[in-house]
Amino acid sequence: MTDRLLPPDPEGAALQALDEAEGMTVDPITQWKLFRTRFARHRLAMLATVVLLLLVILVLVAGFLPGLKNPLTQFKDANGRTMNLLAPRGEFPFGTDQLGRDVMARVVYGGRTSLVVAGLTGLLVASIGTTIGAVSGYYGGWIDQALMRFTDLVLSLPLLPVAIVAAQFFRGLFRGREALSLALLLGLLLWGALARIVRAEFLSLREKEFVEAARAAGARDRRIIFRHVLPNALGPIIVNTTLTIGGAIILEAALSFLGFGVVPPTPAWGQMAADGGRAAVSSGAYWLVLFPSAALIFTVLSVNFLGDGLRDALDPTQSIERK
Amino acid sequence: MLQYVVRRLVYGAVTLLALSIIVFTLLQNTGGGPLDRLRQNPRIQAADIQRITEYYGLDQPAWKQYFTWAGKYVQFWDQRAWGESFQGDGFVRDIIADRVLATLRLMLTALGLAIIIGIPLGVFQALRQYSFFDQAGTTFSFVTFSTPIFVLAITLQLLLAVYLEKWTGVKFFFNAGMNHSSYGTFDFWGRIGDTLSHLFLPAISIALISIAGYSRYQRAAMLDVLHSDYLRTAKAKGLSRRRVIVKHALRNALIPIVTLVSLDVAGVLGGAVITESIFGWPGIGRKYIEAIGTNDYPVVMAVVMAIGIMVVIMNVVADLAYGFLDPRVRYD
Repeated sequence: MTDRLLPPDPEGAALQALDEAEGMTVDPITQWKLFRTRFARHRLAMLATVVLLLLVILVLVAGFLPGLKNPLTQFKDANGRTMNLLAPRGEFPFGTDQLGRDVMARVVYGGRTSLVVAGLTGLLVASIGTTIGAVSGYYGGWIDQALMRFTDLVLSLPLLPVAIVAAQFFRGLFRGREALSLALLLGLLLWGALARIVRAEFLSLREKEFVEAARAAGARDRRIIFRHVLPNALGPIIVNTTLTIGGAIILEAALSFLGFGVVPPTPAWGQMAADGGRAAVSSGAYWLVLFPSAALIFTVLSVNFLGDGLRDALDPTQSIERK
Repeated sequence: MLQYVVRRLVYGAVTLLALSIIVFTLLQNTGGGPLDRLRQNPRIQAADIQRITEYYGLDQPAWKQYFTWAGKYVQFWDQRAWGESFQGDGFVRDIIADRVLATLRLMLTALGLAIIIGIPLGVFQALRQYSFFDQAGTTFSFVTFSTPIFVLAITLQLLLAVYLEKWTGVKFFFNAGMNHSSYGTFDFWGRIGDTLSHLFLPAISIALISIAGYSRYQRAAMLDVLHSDYLRTAKAKGLSRRRVIVKHALRNALIPIVTLVSLDVAGVLGGAVITESIFGWPGIGRKYIEAIGTNDYPVVMAVVMAIGIMVVIMNVVADLAYGFLDPRVRYD
């Protein structure tokens, strides 16, 4: 009843003025702010973000770095002999490989391959998984049944053997563009888990009151999905895509290791570890294995910590007992 | 119950059918046919190629080839059922039979090691939550989980097979093969020692990643149970700590692991493909890589199917074991 006596005040200006008068102003806590504080609390995730950012910058500017050598040049000494299998030293901080190429340059450029594949795979996984999960969860019925049986099928395929055959197939399809073909292949194989999660989110969100309200107000499915449901499911989507990217980097490295990924002489970490491993067993050139492997582990570890931090910040209900 | 098993087996059969169609289609459309090598050989006449093509039925349309393959595949009791190797290595069924036991030995050892090490690790981590031991275990899990299996395998191979021998002069582990060439002349203990020193490195390379996964999962499951009401009741009744932990907590916390292990079988077999190649292990995983390199499609198909069948069987077994362990599970 008292409402009618007060002038219309849509912004709550009067209340705010009252609060200010009493010295009680509070900055509104936005979702973004909430996310930042929660994320900042996860120290390792912050560190991982910095590491990944540095890595991205490094591979982007690799061509302009004055000290970095060409990854394909086979260095020769003054007498014209190939400087192969040199242990790490001043001129070659990570040593040289069997063909006399600079391992440091190859590790940096190999990172470019890994990151491009990882990024593209992430985009693909997010779009396929979200689309299938959203359609399945929102519409339900036979569409849901059909899509989920299909998802189960994809998830039950033995990943590596199928990935190897598919890599051969895609390599023939995309001659010379291995990064693209690898990303496509990984994206097509890895979306299943995300689709299931998105479906579950949509199933529960579509029954919420605000969706009912939107529908009562006359919103179409399209608007409900994109304006009301999808934004609320973004947290799990981002988190699970990030964690999938970690797995994708490992799978890409495994394929390159077995010879079904990036074709030499283009450097890739997995392929460097494979060639280096054989050389290291026969000649003891440990640096051929150590540096690409360390780069791989640090990158995947960072991606996984980033995913962990994002989960704590975006999707607190999913966190496993972190107190 | 029987109905449930039948339904699971039907699902498994559908998965295998889809798997075979996908892999067959991919192989059909992969650049470079199985006869490329023969064509490059100048001593082989075009007429010979034609004859070989017809012999293997490669002149038929793809769908016909698939049905021929599938119709023969299910008659596994026939030696010719899985076709002949394009590379002249004989009947595919014999090739698989020769190698599948080696892979099973590797896979079961890896799973066994992972269970024996991973589960107690997770349990003790949960019992001493936030202790140094717990933190160290967590760090180990995170790092191992972020490490590709080939990095683990090469590192162990270099450190424990190559460098350790160089430093000590004693050969503790072998970096290749399944048995010594003069295995037949060894006595009983010599054979066991030889087998173990070949088996340990490839098996632990595969197991480490599973150990990381199991211990994480077991730790969470155990913590879950430790905070449950019935455990408080058990303590309140005055039961000894040992009895509370072993009889009440552990038995319940072990149940979800069964599912995890069964889901892990596919990963372990994928790991076997990689480690078999690194350690020269004569199993189906290494054969798979070789067969793909030489476009030996019948062998590729047979290995994929063998892996698929192992995964399906392990999943059904795990489902039944789950129901056996947890009486609340119903099969309808």
